[in-house]
Amino acid sequence: MGTNNNKLAINFCGMDFQTPLVLLSGCVGFGEEYTRVQGFSHSDIGAVCLKGTTLEARLGNAPHRICETPSGMINAIGLQNPGTKHVIETILPELDFSETRFIANLSGSTVEEYAEVARLFDDSPIDAMEINISCPNVKEGGVAFGNDPDMSARVVEACRKVTQKPLITKLSPNQTDIAENARRCIESGTDGFAVINTLMGMAIDIEVRKPIIGNNQGGLSGPAIKPIALLKVHQVYQVCKNHNIPIIGQGGITSANDAIEFLIAGASGIGIGTALFYDPLICPKINQGISDYLDAHNLNSVSELIGTLELN
Amino acid sequence: MNQTATKPHRDTIVCEQAEILCHDAFEGEQYILRIQAPEIARRALAGSFVHIQCDPSLPMRRPISIMRVDAKAGWVELLYKVFGHGTALLAKRQVGEQLDLFGPIGVPFVIHENKTRPLLIGGGVGIPPMIFVADELKTQKQYTPFVIMGSEVPFPFKSKPSTVIVPGQPDGVIGCMPLLEDWGIASRLTSKQGYPGCFDGYVTDLAKHYLDALNDEQRQEVEIFSCGPTVMLEAVAKLAKEYELPCQVSLEEHMACAVGGCAGCVVEVKTENGPAMKRVCVDGPVFDAYSVF
Repeated sequence: MGTNNNKLAINFCGMDFQTPLVLLSGCVGFGEEYTRVQGFSHSDIGAVCLKGTTLEARLGNAPHRICETPSGMINAIGLQNPGTKHVIETILPELDFSETRFIANLSGSTVEEYAEVARLFDDSPIDAMEINISCPNVKEGGVAFGNDPDMSARVVEACRKVTQKPLITKLSPNQTDIAENARRCIESGTDGFAVINTLMGMAIDIEVRKPIIGNNQGGLSGPAIKPIALLKVHQVYQVCKNHNIPIIGQGGITSANDAIEFLIAGASGIGIGTALFYDPLICPKINQGISDYLDAHNLNSVSELIGTLELN
Repeated sequence: MNQTATKPHRDTIVCEQAEILCHDAFEGEQYILRIQAPEIARRALAGSFVHIQCDPSLPMRRPISIMRVDAKAGWVELLYKVFGHGTALLAKRQVGEQLDLFGPIGVPFVIHENKTRPLLIGGGVGIPPMIFVADELKTQKQYTPFVIMGSEVPFPFKSKPSTVIVPGQPDGVIGCMPLLEDWGIASRLTSKQGYPGCFDGYVTDLAKHYLDALNDEQRQEVEIFSCGPTVMLEAVAKLAKEYELPCQVSLEEHMACAVGGCAGCVVEVKTENGPAMKRVCVDGPVFDAYSVF
């Protein structure tokens, strides 16, 4: 590990993470892509969430799929993936599970599809599964499930029935009461949460008067959404803290200070996504910053910081 | 165990803080930027690009093709045109400042031994990779390359009359790029703007003049390499099909990670198994034109 400091180690849903950092689904392909960059190491991160995977292969959306916006970006990839069977048979065998934890991201158009993808991953070396009920970029499933607590609960329940591996439910910020949704997902058997997915947004090319994104709308990420994500983590933590359900806080985290805010708000894991696009070597820097903070505040472990927010 | 021994893609891209050595402005908001990036200079191949933080305030980087490198001196040269907010901020960066970038990225152009008449066609800011291909060809005397460059803004160099005779060139089409001429490589320029010495038409029209002047045996030795606007590449691909010539094109698309992680920069390609979405960053940027158009 870059910082060589076990103060950063956490336990997340029974898994040992060597640091709280989690690389987010959709930003890092199927786990190996960033290792192209010299100096990048899986030993700096606790876990990698693989690209959203559906039962059958999907081509995804037409270009343009991304555009820069003030302090962030919009994406609409549309769950391009080679299908569950290909991921399990061809991609997972190439991953080195001694380097970090790998988490599958389950996606689908129906409750049955989510359950079938979960069942297939259950019989694989994957360490955990993230239920993506909040993808804003597909016509069916995704956020349509995530914004409805009843549907969210049904998806979680169906996945729970087919696996004992840790289930992490990725919640959408595009809903009225995220805490109520979290409560229902806990009742249905989720082991953890990822908070938050992207917010829905749009950008327009004023010369042609058309959306820049091929899908017309997409998911907004980056520093622009950080304050929203932080509040959502705080709200979900109020539900989770009595159930010992951990949260991966995510949304615009680009520095150790951002990460520390999320830890204080109640996140155990720290999701890194868009920040990698800005700096592919950002993880060891964030680790070092958290470590320095712990030292400066006489804390022996990052766990001592989680959920320590004192409200005014 | 050495990770890279079993995973050859690992550690192929380098992050560098590169000092700006030269940053020269040309008409049409074009800039030539030379930076000290020794590791990238050492590893880059024709077709490679770098991903640049144009300004620390921007959340996203910009991909820019490499035009030339000097592995010995350790510099990398780029040509870009101000197109939006990011490149406008890049244009303000001064000599002596540090640029944060990583590279080299991407599948490069492949020069084949039996195709000894490479035809290089560059349009606008698609010219740089063609210069890089020419640079790789210049010392290989078995090749007789011909470079056609088109631009609708003044070229970012002062053209001069060529002393190299090229088959099929219409009268008066004598303007060339001096750097290529110095390398002993024939080049001609095209524009619809009436610049002196330039062919009045499209790059593909001039390419036809050239191809029609070759005999069948010579035409068999041609492979087309191209980079430029999509409409131009489409026309180049059509030309390649018409003359049944192999053709490699370098593409561009909005890009976020540039390492294959986000699938944001895809292009639809034809494969044996039907259509597929390929990432311009690491599956390209160079593709077989027949798979794209």
